Amino acid sequence: MKRHMQATELARDERFVRISTEERFNDPRQVPREPGSKRRPGPQLRPERHEAPDAARAMMHAIFTGEIQALEGAGRTCWDFEVGADSPFELKLDMARQCWDEARHCEISVKLGDHMGTEVGEYAENVVLFEAACNPDPVLRLTGVNRALEGLAIDVFNTMREYGQATADPVLEFCEDWMLADEVTHVKMGSDWLRRLTENDPERRARALEFQRVVDKLFSAGGFRGDEDDSPVKLARRFRELAGFTPAEVEEISQLSRQARAEADAAVR
Amino acid sequence: MADPKKPRPAFAPWDRRELPGAFTVEESARRVGHYKWVEMRLFEALGGWVATVPELDVKMRLGTHTYKHAWHAELWHKRLPELREMNPERLTQPANDDVVAFFDAMTEPEAPGETIEKLVGVYRVLIPHKIAAYTYHLNNTSQITDAPTIRSLRHALDDEFEDWRDGEMLIQSLIDTEEEVERAAAHQAQLEAILVRGGGIAGKGSIG
Amino acid sequence: MAAVVVTPEAFTLVQFDAGRIAELVAEVAGRVGLPADVEVRVEIDERVPLGRSRLTSLDPITIAVQGGAFENAKVPRTLSDRSVVDVVGRLLFRAVDRLDPAFADAPADEALTLPQHTAWDAYAVGRCERVGYAPSKPRRLYHFRNRHGFTDTADRVFERLWSADGLTWADLDAACAETAATRP
Repeated sequence: MKRHMQATELARDERFVRISTEERFNDPRQVPREPGSKRRPGPQLRPERHEAPDAARAMMHAIFTGEIQALEGAGRTCWDFEVGADSPFELKLDMARQCWDEARHCEISVKLGDHMGTEVGEYAENVVLFEAACNPDPVLRLTGVNRALEGLAIDVFNTMREYGQATADPVLEFCEDWMLADEVTHVKMGSDWLRRLTENDPERRARALEFQRVVDKLFSAGGFRGDEDDSPVKLARRFRELAGFTPAEVEEISQLSRQARAEADAAVR
Repeated sequence: MADPKKPRPAFAPWDRRELPGAFTVEESARRVGHYKWVEMRLFEALGGWVATVPELDVKMRLGTHTYKHAWHAELWHKRLPELREMNPERLTQPANDDVVAFFDAMTEPEAPGETIEKLVGVYRVLIPHKIAAYTYHLNNTSQITDAPTIRSLRHALDDEFEDWRDGEMLIQSLIDTEEEVERAAAHQAQLEAILVRGGGIAGKGSIG
Repeated sequence: MAAVVVTPEAFTLVQFDAGRIAELVAEVAGRVGLPADVEVRVEIDERVPLGRSRLTSLDPITIAVQGGAFENAKVPRTLSDRSVVDVVGRLLFRAVDRLDPAFADAPADEALTLPQHTAWDAYAVGRCERVGYAPSKPRRLYHFRNRHGFTDTADRVFERLWSADGLTWADLDAACAETAATRP
C-alpha cells in the first residue's frame, strides 16, 4: 500500500456520489436574499422554518460524510509517516485514538440518519475535508484538519445540538453533545501538536497557521459559518476556547468568515 | 471478628501462583519489543486501509481496531523501561527479516476490490499468531515477577479475541463464492508460509 | 389525463426537463384522483437551491416550488423523478382535500401552523404510498416528530394519519390537539 493517496482514490460503495469543490462553489443558484442584504450565506437551521427538518437531515448527512473522511484522514496519518522527529510515536497514537473516535462518530451518524429518516448516500459527498488531510507535512495536516476542520465540526455540532434542544429531540441533542466533546479533544490535540512540533521552528509554525487560515476561510463558505445574525452555522466561542483557541484566534476566524462572506457578496453583484 | 495480630500466610491457600518462569528480564524485554513493533505496524496498516475499503462496516471496524492496536503498542512501549530498556526504540524491532517480509506482503493489497485479502492477512493470519504468542508468554512467564507484563497481555488478549471474531465475521460476510474462498485461502497460505519461516511474531523458539 | 403546464419551459441553471416534469405530474394527478380535465400548473424557481414547495391556487391548481425541491440531492442541479413525485403527490393530495367540502373549514395554507402542515402532509404522503409510490416514511415521521414532539403519542398519531383515508379537517385539527396535549 502506497503512502500519500489522493482524495480521488477514496473508496466508497455505490450509494455514495461525489461532488467536487469546484462544482459546489460554481453552483450559480443562490439562497434568496432577505431585505437589506445582498445574499444569504445559506439557510439557517431554525425550527420555525418550514424546511428545517430537511435542512437538519442534509446537515447531518454532511456531518456523516465528514466523519468518514476524518476517520480516513486520521488513519492515513498513522500510515503515511514513519515515526520520527516530524511525527513522534505519541502523535501517531493520538491519530489512532482519533480513528476510534471518528469511527464512533460514523456509527452515531448512521444511527442518527436512521432516526432522521435519511438514507446513507442520500446527498452528494464533497471530499474537501480529506483533501486537507492529504498535506504532505504532518504539522500542516494536523493544523488544517484538527484545528480548522475539527474546529468547524465544533461549530456545526453545537448548531445541531441547539437544533435538537429547540425541537426537544432527545436523540439528536444527546448524540451531538457526545460528538462535540470528542471534537473539543481533537482540536486540542491539533493545538498541542502544532505547539510541540514547531517550538523551535517559527517559520514552519507560520506556514501551518497560514494553511489553517486558508482552510478556515474555505470552510467559512461565503459566510455559511460565522458570527453574523444570519450565519447558518455560528462560531461556538465557548467550546472553541475549551479546545485551546485563544479569544484572539476565535476573533481571527470570525474575521476570516466576514472576509469570505464579503468576497462571495462581491461575486454576485 | 478475626484477631488483627494473628499471623497469616503471605499467600492465601487458593493463591497458586508460581515464582519460576521461562523468561529472564532480557528475554521478556526482547519479546515485548517485538510485540510493540508488530502492534505499531498493525495499527499503521489498519489506519491506512480505512480509506481504501469501500465497505462501510469494514471501514468503521478497521478504524476502531486501529486504536486498540495503538493502545497495545503504547502498553508495550511503557513496559520496556520497566524491563531495564531505557531506550525503548532499541528493542522496538521485528523478530527477524521474515517478519518484515510478512508485513510487507500483508500490507500489499491496496485496491478497493481487495478487502478480503486485507482482512485475511490480519484476522486469519496475524491475529491468530498474536493470540498464540501472547498466550505462550502469558503461560510461561513468572506469574509473580512478570505480573505487569501478564496484566498487559491479558488486556491485549481480550482485544485480540474480540477483534479476531469481528474480523472473521466480516470475512465470512464478504465471501460469497468458491472463487472467493480460494482467493482467501491462497492469500492466507502465502502469508502463513512467510510467518512460519520467521518462527512467528516473536521469532523462532516459541509459538506464535 | 390532466393538462400540465410547467414554467419555465426551458431551464438554464439546472438540468431539468419540463416535458419529463409534466409527464410525471400528469401521472400523479391521475393517481391522486383529480379529474382528467383538470389543469395543473407547476411554477419552478430554478434560481433557488432550497426545497420550499407550496400549493398556491386551486383554480387552476398551481404548485410553486424552489428548484431544490425537484433536484437529485446526490447529483445537484439534476432532476429527480422521485423528488418530483414526492412533492407533487403531497401537494396534489392537499388540493384534492381542499376541493372536498370536508375541508371547507381548513385555514388557508399561509395560516396553517407547522403542526397542522405536517399532520396534513403525513395524511397526504401516506396516501401517496397507497397509490403506488414509494415515499420515505421515516423522513415524514421525523418531520412529524419535529412538529408534534418526540413522544409515543406523536408516533401513534402519525401512524393513524399515515394509514387513514377519508379524514376531515376536523380530524386533522383534533390530531394536532392530541399531540399538543402531551408535548413536553
